[in-house]
Amino acid sequence: MGSNAIGSAWGRYRSSTWDELITTEGAARPAAEHLLAYLGGLNARDLGERQLAAGLAARLMGITFTVYSDGRNVDRTLPFDIVPRTITRAEWRRTEAGLRQRVTALNRFIGDIYGEQRIVRDRVFPRALLSKSVNFRPQCVGVKPPLGVWAHVCGSDLVRDGDGTLYVLEDNLRIPSGVSYMIQNRMVAKRVFPELFGTSAILPVDEYPAQLYDTLAALTPRPGDVPTIALLTPGIYNSAYFEHCFLAQSMGIELVEGTDLFVGDDDCCYMRTVEGPQRVDVIYRRVDDLFLDPEAFNPDSVLGVRGLMRAWRAGNVALANAPGAGVADDKVVFTYVPKMIRYYLDEEPILPNVPSYLCTQKRERDYVIEHLHELVVKPANESGGYGMLIGPRSTARQRAKFRDLILADPRNYMAQPTLSLSTVPILTESGFEPRHVDLRPFVLSREDVYVTTGGLTRVAMTKGSLVVNSSQGGGAKDTWVVDIEEAH
Amino acid sequence: MLSRVADSLYWFSRYLRRAENCARLVGVNGQLELDLPRGLRFAWEPLVETLGVQAQFAQLYPDGGETAVARFLLVDERNPSSMLVSLAQARDILRSIRETLPQEVWFKVNHMHLDLQEGAERGIARRYRHELLARVVDGCLAVSGILTANVSRDIGYQFLRLGTALEQADMTSRIIDAGALGLIRSRLTDDAATIRNLQWMSVLRSLEADQMFRRHARARFAPAPALRFLLQSRDFPRSVAFCLVRIRQLLPSLPHYQPVERAVLRALALATDADAESLVEAGTTALMDEIQRALASLDDELRIAYFRA
Repeated sequence: MGSNAIGSAWGRYRSSTWDELITTEGAARPAAEHLLAYLGGLNARDLGERQLAAGLAARLMGITFTVYSDGRNVDRTLPFDIVPRTITRAEWRRTEAGLRQRVTALNRFIGDIYGEQRIVRDRVFPRALLSKSVNFRPQCVGVKPPLGVWAHVCGSDLVRDGDGTLYVLEDNLRIPSGVSYMIQNRMVAKRVFPELFGTSAILPVDEYPAQLYDTLAALTPRPGDVPTIALLTPGIYNSAYFEHCFLAQSMGIELVEGTDLFVGDDDCCYMRTVEGPQRVDVIYRRVDDLFLDPEAFNPDSVLGVRGLMRAWRAGNVALANAPGAGVADDKVVFTYVPKMIRYYLDEEPILPNVPSYLCTQKRERDYVIEHLHELVVKPANESGGYGMLIGPRSTARQRAKFRDLILADPRNYMAQPTLSLSTVPILTESGFEPRHVDLRPFVLSREDVYVTTGGLTRVAMTKGSLVVNSSQGGGAKDTWVVDIEEAH
Repeated sequence: MLSRVADSLYWFSRYLRRAENCARLVGVNGQLELDLPRGLRFAWEPLVETLGVQAQFAQLYPDGGETAVARFLLVDERNPSSMLVSLAQARDILRSIRETLPQEVWFKVNHMHLDLQEGAERGIARRYRHELLARVVDGCLAVSGILTANVSRDIGYQFLRLGTALEQADMTSRIIDAGALGLIRSRLTDDAATIRNLQWMSVLRSLEADQMFRRHARARFAPAPALRFLLQSRDFPRSVAFCLVRIRQLLPSLPHYQPVERAVLRALALATDADAESLVEAGTTALMDEIQRALASLDDELRIAYFRA
């Protein structure tokens, strides 16, 4: 199929960079052929109706995230664009292998850091980075969690540069969110394009909750019994509360808040129920480390459970992700992941890191300071796209501020070239237009490693914007891993 | 079952039932007013007293009147017992326990909430009000239907039933009292008996009880049997006694329920021992207040036994 097959709707579509669906010559990429031909056959009214139907479906399903604005918490619907992002199954297999390799090495690293620290002794990873890491938890030293896994759930952000290379931008090992949107986006897409699901080999994404359940159940300190598993949420005002409900419901586990739990004198964790206390075996916690236990961390936390760290260290309750796992998702530690892969697994990394400059090293720091106008500078421990400098979009004053920040605390900053993130068409009032996207697959670690089929595609809805975070106006798309061999 | 979740299920069903009763109360009396014979006037204020919010009402709407009452009882966010606030409360609670109940319950409640937010202003205009209220009543009953049809009869379900039954007993006592306070007034020298009959008819209809009462009574309408029906019927699901008997019957499926049962029996005795004839003559307010206090202490016992964290 050539450019003619995709229909005149795409005639004027041009992306300034790599587009996930359409080549620079205007032809459909293999995984998108079917989709583009189909979309090309719909007129503007059909498309508008489908976009409307998608919005309505999302609203009725109550797919929301919570934002704090004007002094009150409001539910926002995550903007959903109907044009899916497509990936061939062959590319996905390779990506999956890369993620499996990466997360395996990361778990080995975390265990090593809280254990023997071989990687430090062997001078592959500098001790100085560790002592200044805000996510290193001394409370975790010496703990041996079940199966040696610390980061049971990892959300890695992947981006594709203009030349088509897929890079890892960061790994979220603390409390990554977004997987419920991946599943719900598929539910919406099926309502909008039932015809395409009938005729294409689009791989399903809905086995995630069952996989997560198995991952959690494997951690129980009382094997043999049906484990009591709970998802610990900060509560309805958390931006990801919808996801917490969705996952608890899909897995049939208890959704608990800190006040529902307590740790008894026997160092076991219990839920307060109408029948009295009931022991909890595994907690999928969506509360940050520092709020988890006022006894061990932030004494003012009302979200957590007093004594929970005691119960965890005693092996009476499993926590996923384990406290302290965030030591490996520091953006400076990130730059060492390729070295970790070589060190622990004796393998070459399958997925490359986005090239990075460390401000701790003089030569690289000098380069960063001189090239602020073309780099993206990130603080080591922020998430959600906060506290960043996007060089090409910055003012001289912002650059001056970052120069001072970097010189004052080089350990806390790293820089990356501004990638021209790949695009996917979105439907706008004036037809299809390219918008930048990233991709967040979710990786579950237990005895084996499970990777979602595709992941959550986040899209910067504003023209030219590179910021895809939902807290900053990003939206989402469904992600189709398409088996083109089977379809033909 | 988590104590917090049990508490939420209980209050979710209470608010849902409260919203439904509120919609029905305003809807029925709006219709009734249209049918009144010349010379009779419908007094809306007792409806406000029914819900115990007369102070807020007087402050917000010093001039009173039908539209003011309808707005206040149905869609005013400043009235903590308004239909809109009750539904919003039910929805907020449901948000915090939506993993517990079937998803379709959330879809339905969310839909009602959105519908009401968008249509509230237009919906209280007399031309559209009936339609809006019918949608709310239907929506609430649809949720009850989904719960009955699709929720396992586990302990959580018992808390839903507790909330519905307790709220209905409470609303029934309040609606009885509103009727007795005199919803219908005469501008002329009155025919007391006619007015009284009309009043009790309106109470029955507000509780969707007129048809069932007539089938049960098979006699010429009289106030005392109507009141007896609403307080003591063991067959009509909105009567005070029916609701309390239902609570008593489900208690054995809960742990350590004895103190709760004692509170139920105290409230039930007030309803079953009442003498309808003399209440119709002397006024119902004292007894209804007593019943409401007994229901409040039943609510306290539930909190102590199951919800206290």
